[in-house]
Parts: sequence; structure tokens; C-alpha cells
Amino acid sequence: MSVHETDTLIIGGGITSAMLAQKLAEIRPGRTITIVEAGRSIFDTQNRGRYRERAMEYGEHPWHGDYIEDQQAAGIISMTMAVGGLALHWGGACNRFSQEDLRLKSMYGLATDWPIEWTELERYYCEAERRLNVSGEPSPHPEDRRSQPYPQGPIPLSYNLQILKTWAERSGVKFSPLPMARNLTPSGGRDACCVYDTCGEVCPSGARYSPDYTFRQLLEPKKIVLHDRTLVRRLTLDERRSTIVAAQGVHQERPADPIEYRAKTFVIASGYCWSSHLLLLSANARFPDGLANRSGLVGRFMNGHTFINATANIDDQTFPGQNITHSLISREYFRCPTNRPFVRHDTRVWESSAGRDPRLRASDGTLLLGDELMADWRSRTKGSSVRLRAYVDVHPSADSRLTLDPSKKNRYGDPLPTIEHRLDDATRAREAATRAHVQGVFAALAKASNGRIVNNSEGDYLDHPGGGCRMGTDPAASVCDSFGRTHDHENLFVVGAPTTPTGGCTNGTLTFVALTLRSAEEIARAS
Amino acid sequence: MKRRTLLQWLGGVAGAAATAPLRAIRVFAQPRELTHESVATLYEIAATVLPASLGAAGVRAIADKFVARTRGYREGVALSHGYGHPRLQRSGASPVPVYIAQLAALAAEANVRGVRWPALDLDTRRRLLDAALAKANIRGLPARPTGQHIVSDLMAFYFRSSEANDVCYSAMINREVCRPIAITTRKPEPLARP
Repeated sequence: MSVHETDTLIIGGGITSAMLAQKLAEIRPGRTITIVEAGRSIFDTQNRGRYRERAMEYGEHPWHGDYIEDQQAAGIISMTMAVGGLALHWGGACNRFSQEDLRLKSMYGLATDWPIEWTELERYYCEAERRLNVSGEPSPHPEDRRSQPYPQGPIPLSYNLQILKTWAERSGVKFSPLPMARNLTPSGGRDACCVYDTCGEVCPSGARYSPDYTFRQLLEPKKIVLHDRTLVRRLTLDERRSTIVAAQGVHQERPADPIEYRAKTFVIASGYCWSSHLLLLSANARFPDGLANRSGLVGRFMNGHTFINATANIDDQTFPGQNITHSLISREYFRCPTNRPFVRHDTRVWESSAGRDPRLRASDGTLLLGDELMADWRSRTKGSSVRLRAYVDVHPSADSRLTLDPSKKNRYGDPLPTIEHRLDDATRAREAATRAHVQGVFAALAKASNGRIVNNSEGDYLDHPGGGCRMGTDPAASVCDSFGRTHDHENLFVVGAPTTPTGGCTNGTLTFVALTLRSAEEIARAS
Repeated sequence: MKRRTLLQWLGGVAGAAATAPLRAIRVFAQPRELTHESVATLYEIAATVLPASLGAAGVRAIADKFVARTRGYREGVALSHGYGHPRLQRSGASPVPVYIAQLAALAAEANVRGVRWPALDLDTRRRLLDAALAKANIRGLPARPTGQHIVSDLMAFYFRSSEANDVCYSAMINREVCRPIAITTRKPEPLARP
């Protein structure tokens, strides 16, 4: 067995790991930081243009080998397991939650409150935006006031989005450019955006933030040690106390030579799935239900948000393809008066070509050839399609769970996780009213410009998931405190998505990062 | 035996190909590129299924790019595994053998009528193409070439392109083409006519 010693061990190599490592290296430069990631490093940024071309032309995956075939979970939203994590191919949306997310119980009698004050979280939102170099415009709602400006102005609205903003605001709902972690000018070793418009797949310029850049910048001056392709399978306890003394890992190519990581502080930054999984796998005689799990809540209250989609047809003319990955956002319905039925959601607007794409057959079934097809296509481009979406605040029940499935194991014999999301009774009881409200908002938007909704749909999974190690002040009702320190083990932290009690009603990444940056200060104190 | 498994097995016994079973040798014998004859038929059919308004040279250039695309195809490569309900998929066998057979079948339809493809009247060409696509279970224009039928693949290759999008809207939108972000803030310039 090999032994590796470090001051702080970070398990997982995604965006929260990158932000944590970067901040720890700044505030505790003398301490050693080791990051262990099960997947491989994909640092060949010079090839990303070619990978993008292959992805567009042949549908090939642009992140070669970013998954481990026998390390997958049922119910997971992405197979990616690599240095950079899911943020290798995120869209870059950087929306803040709102005060209501932190006070659901006290304001509405729903779900639970977060153990953190909004004014404090807001400071870390500012820091997260600075580190990710977010491009944004202040919200028009006074409740969304900021203590610092965005580090960059907003992404310039495309001509299409300018048209759609004018359209959408005729309904009286205010919209803003979506804040995104996208460079408008070169910064942080990354180029400026040149609208490749494949942010959610791969960004060849690096304009859209991805954690691989941060890791490379930390590796070069040896501020961190990175062990990739190494799976941490267990955490082990001190024989007498409840502190963690080691993490047991194994490199993909050296299965016969396990590695023991010894550290003063252990941080699990493995995302909403693999964080709970590791704690459950680490069960022992003193913690038979898993580490950090005296509450029995590890792997419970798995959250996220549902989403409702629609397509509207409107008279205004746009030119699909200008900047498909950028959108408008309204925070109008982030707030719900306490004397009205509860409903919270964001409202998003994208350019679209839905229903106006080239087609092989005319409406009567005739096969269209050559110029006929082009003429048919052109005849259907008058006016515009608009893509609408609302991410809806829904709340998990305790039975919204990640469990170990003994029938599915990886090559080492470890049971793999299964995630099954369940919503609480109150959420299910208001489902129909929520749907009616959102569809009413969409209809009002469309109607304001002679438009109409041509289709509605709903997601069949929870997006931007989190939970499984929720934070709280009561050790009986939570896994960790507001810093992610587990109630049961003073030197074991969980950071980011798993610690969120509820999933909000907009993209969660900025919140996961803000919480992690706050945790970093406590972790630095602890180590 | 699944094709991927077969290919892996073939890799392991490459040095002993002489003893490989007949089935494996047949896989080795599959053409990797369109033949001259099939490319000639492709040119003829391209003139029917791509816009004549592109001009003969423009149609030929698109057909040539499509042929180049078939050369760049790679088997057994991981495809985008998606988001929400991800799953691992790999690219299938090269479409070239299927393409060659489909082109030969279309050329044969013309031959039995005693002419080459361009000499057929439009109704006949449409009927033959319709039947060929129906046989390949093609219902709509694919998002990108799928290998199901060379005609729908060629059409998807062009009509799903940024270039065709510009032609359709008569505007220089340049979808998914690297360009300064400031350009996108303005109404796209009209497309210059040749």
C-alpha cells in the first residue's frame, strides 16, 4: 500500500473543488492540498476546436474518456466523471437564488430554512462571480440588490434577444440578460467569447469558465497535488475518536496497490451523487449506517427543480442562430406573497427555430426536393418561434433518496448508487396550480404580441440537482452545519450541491460555488 | 457477436488473419470509401435533392464535402452521452457499404428505364427517391447524417448547415461560426448574391 500525506484532502475534481482549492491556496499558502479525482484529466485545450467540429459533424462526444463505465449511478443526469466534472460542459448560467430560498419554512411554512443569512451568502455570491468572471446586469427588482457590481457588464443581447426582450416585456414582466460565466474579454488565461454557441457541449476558446483551467493554473506552480484516475472508496475513522484519519483510494491502473491518503482535514467535493455515496460506503461498526449519518439523513432530501417548457409563435421577425445559448431571465416570480398560494419559478426566453426547420415532406406528404425544400422552409420562417422555460421551486421529501444498490457493483465490488427523487406532500398538492400558473405566464407573454403557445411540455427529471448531505443547525435534522462541517466528524466537510436543503428555482452552480467559498474559510481555520 | 466485440476481437488477432473465420475476413473487405461509380451517381442525385439555385458547381462542392465526410467517419467512437437521461452510445459501422448499395439500387432504377438518373423526369425521380427513403424508414429530415440512407443524409448534410440557414433567411447569420459577439447584436446583413 502506498501512503500519501497532505494537510487537506479534497475528494472530487469539479467546480467546487477547483474553487475551494484556489481559495485555500490563497489564504493558507503553506498548507499542502491534494485533490483526488476518479476520472481523468482532459487538459488538451488546443484540440477543443477539432473536438467541437467532430461533435457537430458526427455527434461524437467532445470529452474523450470523461466517464467510467462501471462507475455510474441510476438516476444521475450526466455520465461525466473527469477533472472539471460536469462544469466541463455546463452552459455557464450564474443566477443567484433569492432570500426566499433560505426562508421557506419561516415565510411559507414549507420545507426548511437554510442555516445561513442572506446578507452573508450575498457576499460569497460576489466572490463567486468575481472568481468565475461572471458577465451580468443588475436585476431590475430592488429585492435583488447587490453589494458589489458584476465583474463584467452583461453579455450583449443579440439582435434576436433584443426583439424578444421587447416582445416579452409588453406583458409587464421584466427581463434581463442571463448572467453567465463567459469572458467578454480575455481573462484568467481564457479567451474572449466568439459565439461558437456550443457552451453546453464544449467551448474551444475557453471563454465559458471551466474548472480545468483553474486546476492547471494551480498545478503549474505546485500549489496543489492532483491525483486523477484515482477512486476514493472509503473513509476510515480514528480508532477512538470520531475524526477521519484516512481515505482509501485506488488508481485505475494499479488496483493491486491501494493508496492511503492521510490528512488533517478531509473535504468531500464530489457533487450531489458521489458525496453521499462515499459516506454510505464508509459504514463501519461505529457508524453502521455510514459516516456522518447519525441523523440517518445522508442520501436523503435529494433535491433539484422541475421545469416546464413551451414554444410560442409570434409575429416579430428574428434570425435563428445568432446566439442560441444565451437567454433572457425574469426573476419576477422568485418572490411569492405569503398571503397567496405558493408558486416560485424563474422565466427564461431563448431564440428558437422550432417548427421552422427544414423538413423532408410538405404538409400533404409530398417529398420535397432541392429548391422546393428551400422554398417550403423559407415560407415557414415568417415571424418567430420562442423557447420558454420555467424552473419551478419544488421541495424534496425525506424519501427523495440516494441508496446503495447491492445488485450493481463497480470493478472493486462496491455497490453503486441509485437516486430516486420524491417531492413532499405540499409540493405534490400544488402541482396542478403551479402548472396552471406557469402556463398562464407563458400565455400572457405570447398574447402581448399577437402570439400563441403552440406546445407545452414538462421535464421528467429534476434539473440542477443537489442534496443528500443537507446543512442545518440541528444534528438530528441535518448532516452538516452551514460550513459543510459534518456534525459527526469535526475534520470532515462536505461542500457544494449536496449541502443544499432545497434546490431553488434557477440554476444552482453559482450557489454551490458561493457556499463552497464560505466553507473554504472555515476549512482553512480547521486545517 | 456484436460488431464492437468483433472488432475488438479482430484487433487481438490481427497477426493471425489467415486463420480468422470467413465472417471476419468479410468485415475486413468492407469498402471504406465510396467507389468512383457511386460518387458519379451521387453527383447525379445531388443535382435533384440539393437546390439548383446553388449552381452546378455549388451542388458539386457540397457533394464533394459530403464524400469527404464519409472518409472522416470513425467507427466505435463514444457519442455524446447526453444530459438528463444519459447513456453510453458508440458510432456504428461505416455507412459506406450501405451508401454504395443504395446508390447502386438508385442507378439500377434508371438503368432499367434505359437512361442515366438525370434523364428521368422529375415525377419519376421523386417517386423512386420516395420509395427508397420509405424502404429505409426515413420519415423526416435527420438532424445530421445517420447512415440510414445516403439521400436523406446528403440532404441533412446541406439543409442542416449554417450555410443553408443563411440561404434560407437570405441573411449572414453565420450560426455556430466563430465571430465577434458584437456582430450578433445587429440585424444580420443581407446575404450577398453571387
